[in-house]
Amino acid sequence: MAANYWASTQRRHWLFSREKLADVRERLREQDKVTHSQFPLPDQRLLNIYFNQQLIKLGKRMSTRQQAIATAQVYLKRFYTKNEIRQTNPYLVLTTAFYLACKMEECPQHIRFVVGEARGLYPEFITPDVAKLGECEFALISEMSSQLIVHHPYRTLSELQSELPLSSDEVALAWSVINDHYLTDLPLLHPPHIIAIMAIIVAVVFKPSNPGTFGNSAQSALAGVIRDGAGMGMLAALSDKPGSGSPRIQKLVQWLAESEVDIKAVIECTQELLSLYEVWEQYSEKHCKELIGRMVKSKKLDK
Amino acid sequence: MFGKGFPFLNPVGGFYPRETVDSRRPGGYTSKVRVRDRYHIVGFISSGTYGRVYKAIGKNGQKGEFAIKKFKPDKEGESIQYTGLSQSAIREMALCTELSHANVVQLEEIILEDKCIFMVFEYTEHDLLQIIHHHTQPQRHAIPATMVRSILFQLLNGLLYLHTNWVLHRDLKPANILVTSSGAIRIGDLGLARLFYKPLNSLFSGDKVVVTIWYRAPELLLGSRHYTPAVDMWAVGCIFAELLSLRPIFKGEEAKMDSKKTVPFQRNQMMKIVEILGLPRKETWPGLVSMPEYTQLQSLVLHRQPAHFHRGHNLEGWYQSCLKNGGYSATSSAGTPGADGFDLLSRMLEYDPTKRITAQEALVHPYFANGGPISGDCFEGIEHKYPHRRVTQDDNDIRTGSLPGTKRSGLPDDSLMRATKRLKE
Repeated sequence: MAANYWASTQRRHWLFSREKLADVRERLREQDKVTHSQFPLPDQRLLNIYFNQQLIKLGKRMSTRQQAIATAQVYLKRFYTKNEIRQTNPYLVLTTAFYLACKMEECPQHIRFVVGEARGLYPEFITPDVAKLGECEFALISEMSSQLIVHHPYRTLSELQSELPLSSDEVALAWSVINDHYLTDLPLLHPPHIIAIMAIIVAVVFKPSNPGTFGNSAQSALAGVIRDGAGMGMLAALSDKPGSGSPRIQKLVQWLAESEVDIKAVIECTQELLSLYEVWEQYSEKHCKELIGRMVKSKKLDK
Repeated sequence: MFGKGFPFLNPVGGFYPRETVDSRRPGGYTSKVRVRDRYHIVGFISSGTYGRVYKAIGKNGQKGEFAIKKFKPDKEGESIQYTGLSQSAIREMALCTELSHANVVQLEEIILEDKCIFMVFEYTEHDLLQIIHHHTQPQRHAIPATMVRSILFQLLNGLLYLHTNWVLHRDLKPANILVTSSGAIRIGDLGLARLFYKPLNSLFSGDKVVVTIWYRAPELLLGSRHYTPAVDMWAVGCIFAELLSLRPIFKGEEAKMDSKKTVPFQRNQMMKIVEILGLPRKETWPGLVSMPEYTQLQSLVLHRQPAHFHRGHNLEGWYQSCLKNGGYSATSSAGTPGADGFDLLSRMLEYDPTKRITAQEALVHPYFANGGPISGDCFEGIEHKYPHRRVTQDDNDIRTGSLPGTKRSGLPDDSLMRATKRLKE
């Protein structure tokens, strides 16, 4: 459980194959095709970027740690594999996920304070009544079958930091990559240690020439490198011919070979992340806000 | 929050007909499972700050006996409202869902219904508090040494599982150690338990007072901010001693929090420990001087008669008289925990938390390694029958029972709490 990912509910109940996940979502769509065509929403990843920005805004004045934001993002993903987003008020669900994650990650916030903050940000969508959030908490816990403990890749990263070892720039970049992977389906598709290794590889292989501050996202730092195609060859080298690349990368490749990590899964994760950075170019906060707002208002989901 | 067509999945993956859902309360949260459809409540077991515990039997194909712990939200005005779940309820729900071990209480399911949480556990017929109490009635008769050994082994086994999974229990005491009718030990009540792997906030900041005072480790009494699984091992030592002597070994009086909610130094409790173990010394416990309440400890030396301190360590004296009073000897029917038992006890009641024996070390201690196999049934070879758990009939309505408004930290022993509750009702 807490120490043992292999026996955890995360591995037993919240790890999907790609096919299974697509299937689950298709079934949600099938149940209400009309609403689906009536209320188109942006690409899931763009929505995730939007939700993540909202969680960060919520957390800002409460000095919430990144891990609580990450847990909230995982709760959202889990909840929306069981519920069609178009039947919910996403602002209420994300505020509740935040409130619950803070308790679970031992940085609790008072319900009134959370509702107050959320109301400041979304006066149209959050009522002052704390009972609404309390009720949504029940729905969230129930849909997740009380399986609230989330294993994050941050832990593997800090454990491997000294073993490999990694420079502080590399750790910072890998950390940002882990932050970004919550914007994709990867947390539902792969165990946390695979994600951590992916983040380390991305940080070492694609390390931009001007390391420094990456902010909350590695996107800006990595997007350029990816566009240029640099590093893609390195990625191929990981699976095909160990021994190529710089000595630093060779060492990493050798370590990977010895560690019996599922290299194929790691490469798949890397590709998923790179395609996130491509999709990101189309992100428009305004667009997400409009579509969600229209959906919530016309379906009266805020009542 | 949910629109009209919100589909409700039932636990086996099918859908409930929408009409049923909508007719109850359109747009609101409705449980997919109803407590009363699945369980028949046969009586009331106990209550605490969190709510109440009921005994139930399964219905509609659900077999067996269960203990249902009901958490109720705070009352706001007249009607019960959703007010957000307590962190302690969240922890217990999440941990019990994740944990699975033969010596940790088994959770069957959690039902969220009518603004309440129902945690359904396997039913356990006994607990250590009740067993210890039974051995003082009508006069004191010792718990057989083999039984104590089996209880302790199973308890440590469950605790090792918790600790290797980074869970601190933080509230081990006889009332929370459950015993099934087939003699299996189950660690119960994870309401104060929490993960200790790199917590975001220091463990101290969340809950300032943990562990019922008689079982509270010296580093906690001295205000330690970073405590470890060793606090649970101290409590196990206290329980071991209590199983042998049938009385709490360090039965102090709790100093109450003042109006400013500052945590007072538990002078009386510290004295009880010092009376048996002698004063902690910085030579044997180097971390002692950096404890926040170190000066308080020194003032304790100045204000007490020297008699308390010159006898030195007399845990061994306590142990020997305990064996004598209990009639424990190699030739008696009770048997004896012997010298190995003393060695283990003294390692559990070690002042320095960094030197205190761990659950893993304790399990391979000579006390267990020597002296033959240990039964997984602590009642094995014991003809004696223990009385069943008291189940009362005065409040069988799981849905309307009132919530006592007391705080958890009020009384050190919830058997007292139970008695006063019963009087009130």
